[in-house]
Amino acid sequence: MGEGKISIYRFMSAGCNGCDVQILECLVPRYRLEALGVEIVSTPEEANVLAITGGINVKGLKELKNAYERLRPPRIVIAVGNCAVTKGIFSDGYPMVGPPDQIVPVNLYIPGCPPRPQAIISAIAKILGIELEEREDYWYTPEGFRGKHEFDGEKCIGCGACAQICSSEAIEVHDKDGKRIIRVNYGRCTFCAFCQDECPTEAIRLTEEYHLSTVDREDAYVENEVKMLRCRVCGSYYAPQRQVDWAIKKVVEGADIRDELVGELRRAAEVCPDCRMKIDNIRRAKRILVQLSLRT
Amino acid sequence: MAERICGICSDAHTTCYTQAIEDLLGIEAPPRAKYIRVIIAELERIHSHSLWLGIAAHEIGFDTLFMYLWRDRETVMDMLEFISGNRVHYAMNTIGGVRRDIPSEMTPKIKDGLDFLEKRIKYYIKTISSDRTIQKRTVDVGILKPKDAIELCAVGPTLRASGVKNDVRRDDPYAAYDEIPFNVVTHDGCDVFARIIVRCEEMLESINMIRYALDHMPAGMLRVRVPMAVEPNEAVSRVEAPRGELIHYARSNGTARPERYKVRSPTLANIPALCKMLMGQHVADIPIVLAGIDPCFACMDRLALIDVNTGRKKILDFNSLRENIRRMRGNCP
Repeated sequence: MGEGKISIYRFMSAGCNGCDVQILECLVPRYRLEALGVEIVSTPEEANVLAITGGINVKGLKELKNAYERLRPPRIVIAVGNCAVTKGIFSDGYPMVGPPDQIVPVNLYIPGCPPRPQAIISAIAKILGIELEEREDYWYTPEGFRGKHEFDGEKCIGCGACAQICSSEAIEVHDKDGKRIIRVNYGRCTFCAFCQDECPTEAIRLTEEYHLSTVDREDAYVENEVKMLRCRVCGSYYAPQRQVDWAIKKVVEGADIRDELVGELRRAAEVCPDCRMKIDNIRRAKRILVQLSLRT
Repeated sequence: MAERICGICSDAHTTCYTQAIEDLLGIEAPPRAKYIRVIIAELERIHSHSLWLGIAAHEIGFDTLFMYLWRDRETVMDMLEFISGNRVHYAMNTIGGVRRDIPSEMTPKIKDGLDFLEKRIKYYIKTISSDRTIQKRTVDVGILKPKDAIELCAVGPTLRASGVKNDVRRDDPYAAYDEIPFNVVTHDGCDVFARIIVRCEEMLESINMIRYALDHMPAGMLRVRVPMAVEPNEAVSRVEAPRGELIHYARSNGTARPERYKVRSPTLANIPALCKMLMGQHVADIPIVLAGIDPCFACMDRLALIDVNTGRKKILDFNSLRENIRRMRGNCP
């Protein structure tokens, strides 16, 4: 946008107020938003930037359209926080209407729950094309900060425990062409770090990265691919290779068993759940179980 | 999810929620977890009160004080971020305890921050009590007599500024509040000025409580195991949120999902008191009187359908609400 002053009008819809306070916090002497030539105004007529926080519900729908109509050009819309980016954890709520970008055109998304003031300021600076001086005394991130996710491709076994525990349904697991893809949509995430706590192999971690702003909502994801294993009997893909290995290793360690039974165990494990139900496979599984229980 | 009820008092809501569910399950958080809950709750009180003080200063046109207060508030935000990993949604509480520890290595840094804050808050109290502009705008404005306050069921700092000694932390101690000594701050001014002073002194009180809690934190587990099944039962939990008494109610029916969940936030209790406060005031004073109860309007959004002609109330169930919304939404996405 280059020259000219930026005036932001905050449109706070059905959110928790967290993001709204973060925008206000950008004003404080520490972050000095106003030093960039940005002001926060209280009516849409004075503003040329609309900052949406919170998900939009039916009552806010008309107001949002109205506020957008009244903006001065060039009418930039920023969606701040995950509720405004994808509706976040409120997406199943009965009064919610689609994410703001289906109602008004959105130019920039700032995911986060809530995004740090630093992230908001650097996103605004990006619009203005200003190089920010990142002072170290407050642009640091503390240890243990819950930011963007990171997969350790070596460790991930593709079990999908993270997707099971995720309360905001931000993690999706789908199998395709012999590969299991685990996708973290951090535009929906609440950054609660339950996935990190729950991962059996410590493969997923929330990093200190917090500059998540993006121009396309679909870009806000992290992915990991794991190879799948074919069933020994019917040849269909049924589970990730590493998950099967991991499960066998756990049993071997737990029961302290020796070679010939390990091979037997592996042969039984490399069969998909459907084929496992066939008579001779049940017999084999039973034999292994008896031998296991004899030893432990 | 309970955290996302409010972005300012998020910890109060999770504490209240976990307490209600722990009550349903018949478990209790271990002592160390209780101390950590107190520390986070008090840090949150400091941040919420200083946020409010800044807003109040802004409402009376004193933006310099707003800037100063919010600058110092960053110290608390940093401490919370440093302990929990997020500025607003701490995600510390879990059913049966807390998720992160406050190890002893963190203590010196937290104490440094507290020392700085104490100095600043004392300075602000001095400034506020001696500044003539603030005095003119707040003394004898928005009077709420103790009798009215009790009758209109005011809670929290609004009630305490009317000289009524009432605090859930003292009256019905939860977490570790029964082991930590503290004073319930009251003021007899009954006006907006009294509300400012009560909140300032509560911040000082919170600082002392955090110091005590850090020094006397017992060792031990952070969380207990949670039973998998919930008996059909109901539970009420009360917490002193920064704005006042917060009540959560939960009813279980033996399944994994709650049958009914109800939140009574402090603003809903404080709003009726405005009727008395605003009586006979200047129009120009309305913003500061309104801001004086630290309102959160989303917290008091309640729906009641009353037919004006017959006076009959109508109760909507989930499906009819959904149907209404679908009609309102029309063709929109």
